[in-house]
Amino acid sequence: MTDDPTDGPTAPTDDGAASSGETDHDAERARADGGALEVADGHAQDEHAMPPTSSLKRWFVTTNHKDVGLLYIATSLSFLMLGGVLALLMRAQLWVPRAPGTGPLSAMAYNQAVSVHGLVMVFWFLSPFAFGFANYVVPLQMGAKDLAFPRLNALSYWLYLSSGVLLFVSFFQGGTFAGGWTMYAPLNLPAFTPSVGGSAAVLALMLFVASVTVSSVNFLTTMHRMRAEGLTLRRLPLFSWTILLTVWMMLFAFAALLAALLLLSADRLLGTTYFAVNGANGALLWTHLFWFFGHPEVYIVFFPALGVMAEVFQTFTGRRIVGRKWFIAAMVLVALQSFIVWMHHMFLTSINLEIKTLFMATTIGISLPFDLMVFSLIYTMVKGKIRFKTPFLFSFGGLLLFILGGITGVFLGAVVLDYEFRGTYWVVAHFHYVMVGGVTALIGGLYYWYPKMVGRMYDEFLGKVHFALYFVGFNLLYFPMFVAWETPRRVFDYDPGMTAWHQMATVGAVVLGASFLVMIYNLVTSAYRGEVADEDPWNYVTTAEWAVSSPPPLENFPGLPSYARGTLEFLGGSSSALKTVDDDAPAAADRGTGAATDGGAPATLDGSEALAASAHTAEEVQAGEDHHASHASVWPFLVGVGALLLLLGLSGFTNATWSEGAMGTAHQASTGVGAVVTFGALVGMAREQFVGPSGPYGESWPFEKVSNMKTGMWIFLVSDVVLFGAFIGAYVFLRFSSGWIAWEPIPDNVVPGLINTYLLLTSSFTVILALEAAERESRGGVVASLVATVVLGLGFLGNKAIEWEHLFTDKGIWIDSGIRESTFFVTTGLHAAHVVVGLLITLYLILRAWNGAYLDDAAPVEHFGLYWHFVDIVWLFLFPLFYIL
Amino acid sequence: MTRLKLYTAIYVVLFVSATVQVLVEQAGIAYETALAVILALSFVKAVIVAGYYQHLRWEPRSLTYLMGIGLLAVLALTVAATYSITP
Repeated sequence: MTDDPTDGPTAPTDDGAASSGETDHDAERARADGGALEVADGHAQDEHAMPPTSSLKRWFVTTNHKDVGLLYIATSLSFLMLGGVLALLMRAQLWVPRAPGTGPLSAMAYNQAVSVHGLVMVFWFLSPFAFGFANYVVPLQMGAKDLAFPRLNALSYWLYLSSGVLLFVSFFQGGTFAGGWTMYAPLNLPAFTPSVGGSAAVLALMLFVASVTVSSVNFLTTMHRMRAEGLTLRRLPLFSWTILLTVWMMLFAFAALLAALLLLSADRLLGTTYFAVNGANGALLWTHLFWFFGHPEVYIVFFPALGVMAEVFQTFTGRRIVGRKWFIAAMVLVALQSFIVWMHHMFLTSINLEIKTLFMATTIGISLPFDLMVFSLIYTMVKGKIRFKTPFLFSFGGLLLFILGGITGVFLGAVVLDYEFRGTYWVVAHFHYVMVGGVTALIGGLYYWYPKMVGRMYDEFLGKVHFALYFVGFNLLYFPMFVAWETPRRVFDYDPGMTAWHQMATVGAVVLGASFLVMIYNLVTSAYRGEVADEDPWNYVTTAEWAVSSPPPLENFPGLPSYARGTLEFLGGSSSALKTVDDDAPAAADRGTGAATDGGAPATLDGSEALAASAHTAEEVQAGEDHHASHASVWPFLVGVGALLLLLGLSGFTNATWSEGAMGTAHQASTGVGAVVTFGALVGMAREQFVGPSGPYGESWPFEKVSNMKTGMWIFLVSDVVLFGAFIGAYVFLRFSSGWIAWEPIPDNVVPGLINTYLLLTSSFTVILALEAAERESRGGVVASLVATVVLGLGFLGNKAIEWEHLFTDKGIWIDSGIRESTFFVTTGLHAAHVVVGLLITLYLILRAWNGAYLDDAAPVEHFGLYWHFVDIVWLFLFPLFYIL
Repeated sequence: MTRLKLYTAIYVVLFVSATVQVLVEQAGIAYETALAVILALSFVKAVIVAGYYQHLRWEPRSLTYLMGIGLLAVLALTVAATYSITP
């Protein structure tokens, strides 16, 4: 069972339920219906049914990581514009202290601008901007031809875009969410933020979280399973390291946010009472769930910027980073510590003093590894010879701003000082120095990788002009906020004595905004007129993306990348070599050695010698070259469209009723159409024959013996553990708040729950039987076991329906009767939803099994079983907690 | 190679222990004791399902650690949040 057939180094891997080994046939068919061939850059490998980049169609069907990266970057910069315009509106309103109703914005418009500015910048700009680079660069740095699941990568992008469109549309649905980006309870309930747009914004964020979860699973599977031979984690380039840690944090943190948003949506749409004013500690529950996500989120947005700094510092000082091992260890520590500091955002809530003290200590603790990283970067500059190019200027500027942001944050981490600073512009100034400090480094990354992505150089003079305007504008904008720190946050009325500082900040905001016009002019015109960039325009680079042409060919490498001999070599292709950032090797770009032996300077190597040093066989190399991966699929786009319509429709559902009149009808129609399109597109995606990249490529620690699909499934299940864990945690928290013993279970009878336990346990057993039957190649056995699973699952749902009907009609309770009722129906309801999804997948498996699938490859049945048994395990906890205790 | 007998035995154990959980509650022992016993049984059952039906026992240990980390994270959240409540 552990010897998965997809485990061979060059075996095809598929990211759909409908895996198939008929690669040649698929490639033929894909070519036949996929439109024009890519002929522009003359790479023979590029003939995989991809329209050329000049074709609009390409950008709707592409699954290639480099295309998706460009889409992320372009889209996130659009959201930067949206967030920036909102910020400028706020700064205009703040030009002088104003009474409500005066100035350019109405009071409610200002609240919306503040809230959505925060949401857009943190969620729809910062992380996706970084993930544009991650998409483009990480597979290149680790020697993979693409991500493990290319279609899921495209799906992440389309869900991201859909969620952003929904957020934008929410402005026009009676006004968007106006309760601040932290969405504190109870302000986040319809009683206080009643607009349809408010619900739409919450749902938009939920869709964004779905996108992030898909992305995390994909990146984690890829980065652990698909590294080139010899590229151990110790040798992984630092940008890739930061992304690896970022996606790990994302996996856990965003699952908690998903739980918070699901509960909030239940409150807003269905009328449950988790966060109600008169509830049991609902407001505190929200802060716990939100900041358990929210603090790791700070590092989720900052780590990629740190990675850019590390890469850019190494390239532009010509010096390997000082203390590389310690730098990595410090980052790992921060990633772990980020999950035990969240209550420092809650010093002014009702949490007790003991826990405040504890979290003040952990907060001080997390600043220590950062000190190490900062000194490591500074010492790298001291030891190296700096070239002041635009990417370096931005990265260095980012470091300076981050240092100031970090130091001012130490004040906020102290309980007593936070009592004074909380809710003031000190906080606003602090986190803008941190977050926008990160943005500064990422802008450096944009200039750094621009020649790689576009194939032409940007204009260096304009780049420096951009930096000068940006840096002056930034400090003119945010530094006065420290001085005028007594300004209350989120409101536009302030002490007139601080007017001059606020006017300086507004001028700074205009300068900062204008600096981006210079950047856009530079990057757009340089794409046509810039000097042509060769594979390595910087010299002294140490990472693999600079060893291939700019932009790289569709499948990245001229052969199978291998680091078996300590340097990058391409087996089977036309070889060129590149020094690695091998931990134990001397600095890849030490000044003494000169440019000729480092960077991407190609050196012809004897192919047979390289192959001899490698664990790969000539057959594997050949199989890799013959492997025709698919690159186009329209289904991810269609899932995105369906999800947008579905959630847009659902936003019109408040407190269990549809909005009035024609709008209500429109919302219902949108919900129905969206559900059908989403479901149809998911089925289409599962049925599509899609051949993923060949792989793994050599290094797969720590999942060497687990296939990509199974690794992905387990990683997804971990996020589901956190989701359900947060739901159960919310239940425990609320029950404890209202008195544990007095809280009786909602069902007056334990028997229906016990019967459901029996049904679900039996269905787990039939799923095991299906797997056994598949391994014994018994078609009848597989079909019969799966049919039994469906019958048992339907029995579970039917029994639950009878029980709920009894509770609703005979006992007269409803989901909004109280917090006890809310936790019971929402938690077991989420579980029931998991059962429904499982049954839909089972029906699909039955249809395929009927046609003889799974007898030669039982893996899909096994992977489904992992999910189904997990749903069973959850019930093993829900049953005692909600029926017995 | 088949483990059908083992899987069947496990199914019986799970079935019985679910029944035992209900019986413990009705046995009239102290609430705290019943709570501890019932939750311990849930954990044991969860470990058995994960270990055998999800065959983690025969998988590389890294997958078990992965699930352990997820569990640890939500336990930290639940325990710390509940502890933070001012009585």
